[in-house]
Amino acid sequence: MSSYSELIKNFEKIRSYMREFYVYGFKSREEYNKKSARSYDDERRRMESWLGDHMSFVRTPEGKNVFISIDSRVSQHNPFYKALKAKSFTDGDITLHFILFDILHSPEVVLSLPEILEKIDEYLDGFASPMVFDESTVRKKLKEYMEQEIILGQKKGRKMLYHRAENIPLPEITDILNFYSEVAPCGVVGSFLLDKLEEKTDSFSFKHHYITSAMDSNVLAMLFKAMHKKCIVTVSNMSRRADEPRQNRIIPLRIFISVQNGRQHLLAYQPDFNVIKSFRIDYLSDVKIEEPTPRFDELRAELDQKQAHMWGVTVKTKRHEEECLEHIDFTVRVAENEEYIIRRLEREKRCGTVEKLDEHTYRFSADIYDTSEIIPWIRTFICRITELHFSNKAFETQFKKDIRAMYRMYGLEEVEA
Amino acid sequence: MIFNEIYSAYYNAVAKIITAVLDGKTDEREFNQIVCDHAFGESMLTVLPALKSEKWQLIRADMTTPLQHKPTMPLTLIQKQWLKAISLDPRIKLFGVELSGLEDVEPLFTPSDYYVYDRYSDGDPFEDEKYIKHFRTILFALKHKKNLKLEMVNRKGNAVYTRCVPQRLEYSEKDDKFRLVTTGCHFIRTVNIARITKCKIYNGDTVIPSAEPEVHLDTITLRVSEERNTLERCMLHFAHFEKRAEKVGDHYLLHIKFHRDDEPEMVIRVLSFGPTVEVLESEHFKNLIIAKLKSQKSCELL
Repeated sequence: MSSYSELIKNFEKIRSYMREFYVYGFKSREEYNKKSARSYDDERRRMESWLGDHMSFVRTPEGKNVFISIDSRVSQHNPFYKALKAKSFTDGDITLHFILFDILHSPEVVLSLPEILEKIDEYLDGFASPMVFDESTVRKKLKEYMEQEIILGQKKGRKMLYHRAENIPLPEITDILNFYSEVAPCGVVGSFLLDKLEEKTDSFSFKHHYITSAMDSNVLAMLFKAMHKKCIVTVSNMSRRADEPRQNRIIPLRIFISVQNGRQHLLAYQPDFNVIKSFRIDYLSDVKIEEPTPRFDELRAELDQKQAHMWGVTVKTKRHEEECLEHIDFTVRVAENEEYIIRRLEREKRCGTVEKLDEHTYRFSADIYDTSEIIPWIRTFICRITELHFSNKAFETQFKKDIRAMYRMYGLEEVEA
Repeated sequence: MIFNEIYSAYYNAVAKIITAVLDGKTDEREFNQIVCDHAFGESMLTVLPALKSEKWQLIRADMTTPLQHKPTMPLTLIQKQWLKAISLDPRIKLFGVELSGLEDVEPLFTPSDYYVYDRYSDGDPFEDEKYIKHFRTILFALKHKKNLKLEMVNRKGNAVYTRCVPQRLEYSEKDDKFRLVTTGCHFIRTVNIARITKCKIYNGDTVIPSAEPEVHLDTITLRVSEERNTLERCMLHFAHFEKRAEKVGDHYLLHIKFHRDDEPEMVIRVLSFGPTVEVLESEHFKNLIIAKLKSQKSCELL
């Protein structure tokens, strides 16, 4: 039986636990039935170790519910980045890492593998039971570091010589890292850089700040890499409608990020169905980059065009050369001193137009792929909606039914017998 | 790619310990403090014991090290690519720093690789010279603990002056705006950077109180149904608040703490869920929702 460690080998396992604890946080130990009780205990203990004060629990009749609660307006740095700094390693990995970089302490030190091996033995000489690193282990480690471009190799005849990469002299970038590590995609990379800095002053805090995307950094970085190379990927997709993940072969086109719900989607072309569709990034794992595709530019241009009619992440394929669009419009009344409503319409709309009908009446209209995506926004104007028309009549009826349900919910109308 | 031990908290802690040893330090309490500062809650049980027992052969039993140089590592490919990517962002100009040496590096992503689709369109003018100048003065004041003298236009369009102690710059990703959180002035606590017309370091003699006033938090309780995937949407939407959820029968209760200043925004955020989210508490917040609905009733939409 393996003993407990704070560190983890596989990030996917903890990724789902962290999301459950943070986003939901109402499940008891018994409800995590997909994994064993021991696994639950270990993952919970790890999260407590990484996140400390952010972990809380409540006792309910069903048992103890553990949850993560973070006011991201108070926390200046995303606490979930810690999980990405908990990769396990072997005793040999860490020993070799520090010794290799000490041997290759400057780019001017250029050595062959046998020379490096000899020096490693010298470093380990003074220990009671010195570790022994064989040639293949060290070569493998050097190759790994060459892929990360921290060690460079140069061929001299048949011999490979190794030296460390030149360091890029960075200016004072603490402020830049403090800011972008929180707001840029794959911000955890900025956090890795911050870890190396001595200066810790931080002038920033963040409002409306969603932090769950940290857990998807690895997937996101792979998708960016694939887009950059214009490659097809295969990816495992665990949709909420399916019990088992599905393998999808897709062409990734663009990442859609929401700053109002924290979700990230991949918009990708699915050749098997000849459609561009969205995939939730938190459901994706195991991204494998395959061959480049000549269709990337053409498909991305198609997505560019479609974006003019996307309220959220839904796109629909043309039928008979016609876009499958739904029309929506609604009218709001605006009283004296309520100019902020007009400003709200203008700044919050993602497509469509705002039209002044008279001094106190404004109409918003748009043609979009999916009416359901705009409904939550329209509801934010409840108290002033005077007219509303959807070409999708089912949604119009539902919208009005919902308003009536809210009247009843708060006692403004009688509940029907 | 990103999940790699070379970025791990343990490697960082060990690098710091080796540095301390090379500086001639031998105090174990100091090494344990390094572990506390750079790794996790239970790391003390692992890191120093692994070094001392020569499991990780970097420090000998006599607390010396065969290493001769303070540990450093060049930037990895992905670190360079990420820096290159952020150098393409328009907000980088605010910082007045040139990220040179990355000319031959391919960015990890470009602005056309991602799209923030629900950000408000009236964000701050990050490339406006005056705005940049004000931003840098504020950042300087924050870093060097200086007071500020500000002139700005308020919501009503009137010029307002204040002397204040800057506390922090708060950025909203939704609004795409920076606000300066200040103390020392009773009637101005938060200043939109874009509204500032003049911004100077204040070196005058007037003493400005710098204690940050108490933040007033309110709590609401929402009854969330599972209908139309509301539970997941609601939990994600309110994920950035301090909150607690519980299952009660066939529905869920969500308790959320929020800043009192954000009450109007919270009201419309709750309304956006329609009838699948009901406000149970507080009575005051519930009445705000009811007032909106009453007003809607008078619009005769139905």
